[in-house]
Amino acid sequence: MTEFFISNLQDFWHLTGFYNATWEHFVMLAVGLFFIWLAIKKDFEPMLLVPIGFGMLIGNIPFNTEAGLEIGIYEEGSVLNILYNGVSAGWYPPLIFLGIGAMTDFSALIANPKLMLIGAAAQFGIFGAYMVALLLGFEPDQAGAIAIIGGADGPTAIFLSSKLAPNLMGAIAVSAYSYMALVPVIQPPIMRLFTTKKERLIKMKPARAVSQNEKIIFPIIGLLLTCFVVPSGIPLLGMLFFGNLLRECGVTTRLAKTASNALTDIVTILLGMTVGASTQASQFLTAETIGIFALGFMAFIIASSSGVLFVKLFNLFLPKSKKINPLIGNAGVSAVPMSARISNNLGLEYDPSNYLLMHAMGPNVSGVIGSAVAAGVLLGFLA
Amino acid sequence: MKKKLSTILLIMVACVGVATAQTRGALRINEIMVQNENSVVDDYGCRSAWVELFNSSYAPLEISSVYITNNKDVLNVSDAQERKKMMYAVPLGDVNTKMPKRQHVIFWADGQPTRGTFHTNFTLTPGQDNWVGIFDASGLNVIDSITVPASLLANTTYARAIDGKDNETNPALTWEVRDNLTPTSYITPSSNNIITDSNTKVETFKTQDENGFAMTIMAMCIVFSALLLLCVCFFVISKIGERISKRNKAKSHGTSVSELSRSEHSDHDSGEEIAAIVMALHEHLDAHDQENTILTINKVKKAYSPWSSKIYGLREVPRR
Repeated sequence: MTEFFISNLQDFWHLTGFYNATWEHFVMLAVGLFFIWLAIKKDFEPMLLVPIGFGMLIGNIPFNTEAGLEIGIYEEGSVLNILYNGVSAGWYPPLIFLGIGAMTDFSALIANPKLMLIGAAAQFGIFGAYMVALLLGFEPDQAGAIAIIGGADGPTAIFLSSKLAPNLMGAIAVSAYSYMALVPVIQPPIMRLFTTKKERLIKMKPARAVSQNEKIIFPIIGLLLTCFVVPSGIPLLGMLFFGNLLRECGVTTRLAKTASNALTDIVTILLGMTVGASTQASQFLTAETIGIFALGFMAFIIASSSGVLFVKLFNLFLPKSKKINPLIGNAGVSAVPMSARISNNLGLEYDPSNYLLMHAMGPNVSGVIGSAVAAGVLLGFLA
Repeated sequence: MKKKLSTILLIMVACVGVATAQTRGALRINEIMVQNENSVVDDYGCRSAWVELFNSSYAPLEISSVYITNNKDVLNVSDAQERKKMMYAVPLGDVNTKMPKRQHVIFWADGQPTRGTFHTNFTLTPGQDNWVGIFDASGLNVIDSITVPASLLANTTYARAIDGKDNETNPALTWEVRDNLTPTSYITPSSNNIITDSNTKVETFKTQDENGFAMTIMAMCIVFSALLLLCVCFFVISKIGERISKRNKAKSHGTSVSELSRSEHSDHDSGEEIAAIVMALHEHLDAHDQENTILTINKVKKAYSPWSSKIYGLREVPRR
């Protein structure tokens, strides 16, 4: 009888986290706790870092993988694995895009369509990082997945990395969201570096009023034009513009509200938690992860710089009355609406009457479209 | 009006039906063996001629009710029913007729359809040209066809060089003879004619675009052109919208567009000016100096929805 007790307790001991723990597990748990602390105490992207951080705790609790408990995120049939399917098969990010579309007002962009080009220019961050990633020895598909961090768009980064480099997805997602939270720290010095005081004081004409019909036509034309050019962007662009049509058509208010509130919240919870849980020590604590974080940082810098420099270049061809304040160039990276807010705050710093928010929202939302198009291009070339 | 709309809707639904009926177009004849002496055997342990079909799409493909034949005379018969009688119909009700994406299926051309779904009612004849065609469910439209040359030897196959694909630059190279003698001429029943162990796109970029320069230029051009297209399109739309609103405004004022634009300055209704006027009036009139003590009651109208109605709730949601 005693032997029976001892052998069962011994078996149970072998199943516990204490028995199976390695130092890597504790490092990952510490990273998870750090993210939760950042989110709660420092208010860094709490909606994403709390689920990701807690997901890291869930995914890195040690257990006996040979016991056949079907509890791990990579074990087929486990609850976490079922939830993770949205990430691995790439259907969470398009649902988030549906919500983004339903939340986004494209008026600023429709009123001043030339601002769309700033959103395109900022995508240079993606391809600059792609070139450097190749130099560092990453394979072209891995380099593409890492480079998309420069688009400053979490769902796009997750979508593309799940298709091109699933093993790097955890590090890419965490890196993308971390830098998005750090946009207020990264962008202002770059904006100051590339602009003169005179340029920062440029006042832009208020945007014209946009009619309801234009707002309704935008998602339809936007979908047809962009997806005819880049069909591989259909999952992201299709849902983005669909969400926007729900918002603007005026007859699907309830659907738009659900897409922008309940649905987005549900998918954000599941996406964040499962991405966090997928960051296992064996794949996360590698030299590659350090490379990914460094490349992500560089991609953000290139993207912000190229947006600002493009506006300066653009201004050379514009009449004096229609000059664009280069402080809105940084908003070409998607990070909606954080980067537009930064443009506004910096503008106000130099001229308290110069409100740039609405102008910056134009390149900001075109950055969302631009990064989805860029993801489609990378997918088309490399998948 | 409603009747007209319903008719248009019906026509559109019919068009959608026609469009979806054409999805079997992704089915391709991929490899054919006419004389099988020492190659693959069927479930009955018999060796007979075989035709390999390939689903060239990236979506599952249901091939039941597709027709297969080696009788080229069907092309001269215009009546669909007559045609169908001359061909082998892939029967309904077999789960195996649903082909997964980019997968193959073998039909045994043994003239014994009673042996199962994948045994046809015709045979292929060695030493002569063998035409094989597949038709859609209507029996009228050819999905794919090929003539296997009479010179094809025993235990060799006539196969596509690349699975499911035509060589567009040189159609003569689309099909080739496979004899199992060299690594590039393997006979591959139920598997890919070209076996790849890496992503060819990635390999191409790796060898031909080492520094990523070409990718950057191509991708940035595509991103720019997509957004430029959108930009131009909305520039035109905004101009049209502006013209229409001006015309409507002129109509309501009972004047012409040119007169209206002469009489009004374009910046008159700018938001900044309106805000400045309001601020000036506010300062001048010194209005609302007791604002903190003003109580305003607004009627709030909430849209009713049975989905969120409290009367259908089992209990009240606890609130702090």
